Amino acid sequence: MKKYFLGLFMLCLLWSCSEDESDEYQNIPISFEVPSNFPDLAYNLENNPLTEKGFELGKKLFYDGRLASDGIVSCGFCHIQENAFTHHGHTFSHGVGEAIGTRNTPPIQNLAFQTAYMWDGATTHLDLQAIIPFTSPIEMNGNFSDAIAMMESDPSYQKLYKQAFADGKINSENMLKALGQFMVMVTSSNSKFDKFRRNESGGTLTQDESEGYALFNQKCASCHATDLFTDNSFRNNGLSINPSINDIGRYKVTELDEDKYKFKVPSLRNIEKTAPYMHDGRFFTLEAVLNHYSSGITNSPTLDPILNNSGTLGIPLTATEKAKLIAFLKTLTDNQYLTDRRFAEY
Amino acid sequence: MKFQLKNIAIALVATLAFTSCSNDDDSTNQVTGNGNLKVEFDQIYNDADFAANTPYTNSNGEIVTINKAKYIVSNIVLTNENGSTYTIPKNESYYIIDEFTPASTLIELTNIPAGNYTKISYGIGVDQEQFNLGATGQGNFLTQAQDAGMMWSWSAGYKFLALEGTFTSSTVTTDTQFMVHTGQTGTDYNYTTITLDLPENALVRTTITPQIHIMADLKHIIDGTNKIALSDGPMVMGGNKLALVTTNLSNMFEVHHVHND
Repeated sequence: MKKYFLGLFMLCLLWSCSEDESDEYQNIPISFEVPSNFPDLAYNLENNPLTEKGFELGKKLFYDGRLASDGIVSCGFCHIQENAFTHHGHTFSHGVGEAIGTRNTPPIQNLAFQTAYMWDGATTHLDLQAIIPFTSPIEMNGNFSDAIAMMESDPSYQKLYKQAFADGKINSENMLKALGQFMVMVTSSNSKFDKFRRNESGGTLTQDESEGYALFNQKCASCHATDLFTDNSFRNNGLSINPSINDIGRYKVTELDEDKYKFKVPSLRNIEKTAPYMHDGRFFTLEAVLNHYSSGITNSPTLDPILNNSGTLGIPLTATEKAKLIAFLKTLTDNQYLTDRRFAEY
Repeated sequence: MKFQLKNIAIALVATLAFTSCSNDDDSTNQVTGNGNLKVEFDQIYNDADFAANTPYTNSNGEIVTINKAKYIVSNIVLTNENGSTYTIPKNESYYIIDEFTPASTLIELTNIPAGNYTKISYGIGVDQEQFNLGATGQGNFLTQAQDAGMMWSWSAGYKFLALEGTFTSSTVTTDTQFMVHTGQTGTDYNYTTITLDLPENALVRTTITPQIHIMADLKHIIDGTNKIALSDGPMVMGGNKLALVTTNLSNMFEVHHVHND
């Protein structure tokens, strides 16, 4: 009888381990493969090694509205996966208490390869980026102490922190590291364009797409550089100033006159899914964006020199060229990433 | 067994004798083990203890009343009289000093190797090395900083120093709020390291917890080597002015005395 109970007890122990009920640290690494057509990682994975439980915790945090002061506005509230983690159709997004921001929600993709975040580059480390939307009074209006108290009283968080981190602590460091792991993992590298670049099946461009790519390299790639489609710089692309906002862009961070009205060059991946466009979401279609570059540029002291050819502003583009560029830009849509179950809320 | 113990004891005594000889000539004072050290950050204004709700006239002729004075102290290093240094473990070495929260102005460092210390150095703010690690190594300090109003949320970093209050001047005649916040900007990191000689050695022993009494002259923050006129702009939170304030912090601190009891 005694032996029987002992056996049962052992079985329970085994069972609980395999069923993920254990409160122990679970160091199950996730290997992160840099796609062969991508530049090097900017994020140092040694400081925050990816593990299955770390990623799972990060995803739970990303979709948890209880981190916000109103209990509703999660990260995923404005960053919707099927729109490349943007807020589809919203020029500006609404945070807690229906507060409205002044900048368009940027996508979340391939952030581990980038060196500055937010439209003005207010932060340079992906782990710390989350602080901005989490604490901004017009976004989540969150507070670390309140979030930690909420998580400390939630059994699923108690368990996940122990499983995800060797020290098992529910604190701001581990919270941000878990969110960092989730964001590192959200990679888009399997569009038709990527397959074309890597000579994989499904990577044959049509004639229009191929000609569009040639035009792109000729007219756009000096700023939208590399297969990430950004050179990580800040530039004034000649948008007229909206006087009701007068967003001074990068100047807010550096207070250097030469940085006035400059914004980060955004990646163009999944651009088909991320309308509206520009830092203030003023353009609703890709056609409108290209019309801006061909004939809508406003001059100013900080206008990017690339857009001013001895007094002729903008990038000359014919209607046919625009159509081909748009055909090419749509090859950047990555349906695997847009529908990847690993990143999904439900 | 007894014999063995005796041997060990003899060896131990011999080693100790050796150590003390090579260390310094104070052979009567065996310095071993660990002790604690207290550091007090005492806010003053010019030549008097700082007082809340008291108007001070600075050298620009502005009349300033301070109602918030906080700064982050980090990376404390102690220099021993033998030239060696002891660095407080980095992840235990971040403190928020708040003049209006008395308990925060006295910090206690534990497990310090016994010795005679001649200098203390520390940084104001969170160093760039730590910042570049992202969340790694920060523990719960971001939470503490947010609770203390020392998180600079728009730039995802820390306020290294916050001095706030109200002022009037010849051109600003109604009481106007001012704020001086330093921290990382897009162009400058604005972290500064302070090194102070101790007027008498801090004698850390297993039985002695010295207390280093540091005076922090709040006047220096905007009225030091560099003069920042609040009348030109009462919100000093970015741009070149932060580098000027940071320079001022270098002369803000002085060790007044050390208690060894």
